[in-house]
Amino acid sequence: MKKVCYIIVFALSILLGSLAAVKAQQQTEETGDVVLKATPYNKTALFTSSEEVRYRVQLHNNTKQQQNGRVLYQVTTDDGKKVTADSVRISLREGGDKDIIVNIRKRNTGFYRINFIVKLPEYDDTVRRVFGVNPEKVTSQLHKPKDFDAFWKQSKVELAQVPANYRVLERKDLSTQYKKVYSVEMHSYGDLVIRGWLVVPTDGNKFPVHYRVPGYVVSLQPNMDNDDFIAFDLNVRGNGNSKDVINIGTDNYSLINIENKEKYIYRGVYMDCLRGLDFLYSHSNLGIDTSKIFVEGGSQGGSLALITAALDKRVKLLTMQVPLYADIHDNFAISASYDQQVFPFKVFRKYQSQHAGFSWEKFYSTFDYYDPQNFAPMVKCPVLMGIGLLDQFCPPRCSMALYNHISSTNKEFVCVPNSTHEVNFNYFMFQNLWLREKFRIP
Amino acid sequence: MRKTVTIWLYICLCFVLITPLKTFAGFPIGKYRNIVVPTFSYYRQTDRFDDKDHVIKGAPGTSFTSYSSNLFIGYGISRRLDFIATIPYLYQQNIVAPGYKLVDAGFGDAVVGFSYNLVNSNFVRFFSIGVSAIVPMYNIHDGPSPLGLSAFGSEVKLMYCGNLPKDVSTKGYFNLEFAYRRYYNTQGPDQISLLGTVGYPVSKHDQLSLDILLYRSFSSNKEFNSNIFAARDYSFFKPQLNYGHTFTRRFSAFVGGFYVPFGVNTGVGYGGSLLGVIKI
Repeated sequence: MKKVCYIIVFALSILLGSLAAVKAQQQTEETGDVVLKATPYNKTALFTSSEEVRYRVQLHNNTKQQQNGRVLYQVTTDDGKKVTADSVRISLREGGDKDIIVNIRKRNTGFYRINFIVKLPEYDDTVRRVFGVNPEKVTSQLHKPKDFDAFWKQSKVELAQVPANYRVLERKDLSTQYKKVYSVEMHSYGDLVIRGWLVVPTDGNKFPVHYRVPGYVVSLQPNMDNDDFIAFDLNVRGNGNSKDVINIGTDNYSLINIENKEKYIYRGVYMDCLRGLDFLYSHSNLGIDTSKIFVEGGSQGGSLALITAALDKRVKLLTMQVPLYADIHDNFAISASYDQQVFPFKVFRKYQSQHAGFSWEKFYSTFDYYDPQNFAPMVKCPVLMGIGLLDQFCPPRCSMALYNHISSTNKEFVCVPNSTHEVNFNYFMFQNLWLREKFRIP
Repeated sequence: MRKTVTIWLYICLCFVLITPLKTFAGFPIGKYRNIVVPTFSYYRQTDRFDDKDHVIKGAPGTSFTSYSSNLFIGYGISRRLDFIATIPYLYQQNIVAPGYKLVDAGFGDAVVGFSYNLVNSNFVRFFSIGVSAIVPMYNIHDGPSPLGLSAFGSEVKLMYCGNLPKDVSTKGYFNLEFAYRRYYNTQGPDQISLLGTVGYPVSKHDQLSLDILLYRSFSSNKEFNSNIFAARDYSFFKPQLNYGHTFTRRFSAFVGGFYVPFGVNTGVGYGGSLLGVIKI
């Protein structure tokens, strides 16, 4: 019996050892003369206004000589206003390590940039981080035009007047033993043809639907990796295989007819998303469980998903990541403090500078009809949102302002502190569990 | 748009990883999700191990055979907390001498408790603790019963499970359980067990799994009892090989066989089990 015990203990040791090895391997190797790693005491880098903001700063000297210098930290608001700064003298022997605890006194609600800077005689490095305080108390002003509701009601009326003329073609060349792939085509707002991909698992009769809307000028392909949902991926006008009329690059897509709120590209795009829902509701014969449709997207897709859920109550769940264009007014102010402009204001500022007479008032006179934040109060279904704290395209303040305007009380958000314009694998794992919980999927 | 591709890959990966063919053991059930697992087991022994791990041939014509049914119920109270209960029903034939057969049937020791997920490692691996009460479902006032240990007890179980490390395999899962069980009786027993499971999908709907169970029961009563449900001081090592098939998203079935190759003061048991996993 003792022999067996030894065998078991040995086998378990191997298993646990391999798990530890995997964990060690997952840790990123970092290079540089002196490596600085800043870790917030709260894992998500979100704090309350009643607690100090605390970081653990770990330094490692990668060189073979003594390093003397300073570590500085600078805190600013997310739009660049100085809050506090300090520095610590450091002395690191060859290969040596040092830990520093950085305490920042209690802050008010908002998001803050914190830069950690290593300054040595022959080496500089900056690690940029963002932390949030009371994110669920972040507020913003809604700039909702008085005729906002009427504008979108009229848009829906105009969409309804366009016969959809659905075409569903089974693509046997793309189908597998376990998935049937359909190419889907329909007419949408302004009688433009849009297309998408429907993937139906073969081992069942009825499935909930994962309705995905695209990021900015992104080509969605058939989603073959979803066994428990029918996957419907819609390419709105100008995206993927829906470029018959609008086929324009990323630099200009968001500028199409921006000076005319009636004809701005996103009016049709938003209506395309609703037309996609029309398609799902009219094709329950393909196994679609119309009582379980969730809409999902990232970046532009995140906003499209939100707007779809806002304008059409047939959406039962909404999941979105890093919603583009949210709280566009505050995004404008925040982006003004960037060293280098990034999308979307990189594009908008360039256009504005090249078009005399196109003032920011003019810009907002159009865009206020399209700011996802203005749709948020209309969302009543359960919501899950993911944000990246280092996101400059969709600053966390703007995403949280949008989130806080959502009417649904059944809402959650996931914060990924070291992500830029994306979330991480954990978010999607959680999203999947969240969906199963909400839809009662075993 | 590289990031969009990355996000897409994440989504694809998580759908692939989230749906391995797992058994219920160790994995959090989760809010609004319930699970029912009926099990039918067959156990038989003719020979036994003495207290030095030597096999002693049983007397001709003697044997112990058990047919048992277990009903496991798991109810997801929250994302971390599950209610769990196991209710056994036993039918036993103990032939102690040729022509002299003892037959007993009835409910055995129910196990009722809660499981709490302490650490969730990226939704890929889970470390949980289970605390349960052992409740005899037969009359314990009339002395020892063949249906169980005739005493109330409690159990604390630590569970660690999840996907196999990618270095080992891109598919498959593992489950490790360490349990301590105590019966409130002057003769105990105190029991510890270590269960390791590795499961590997061999096709989209089929899997093989291997359970390795090491069991040690301590008691001042060292007497051999051929009835494994009523024995007190013994230990054994039991590997079991299972085949599982997923019929639908809600129903899977497993069939397995086991043998006890090593043991102390216990039977040289063998048998099999058939279980269904019903997700509600």
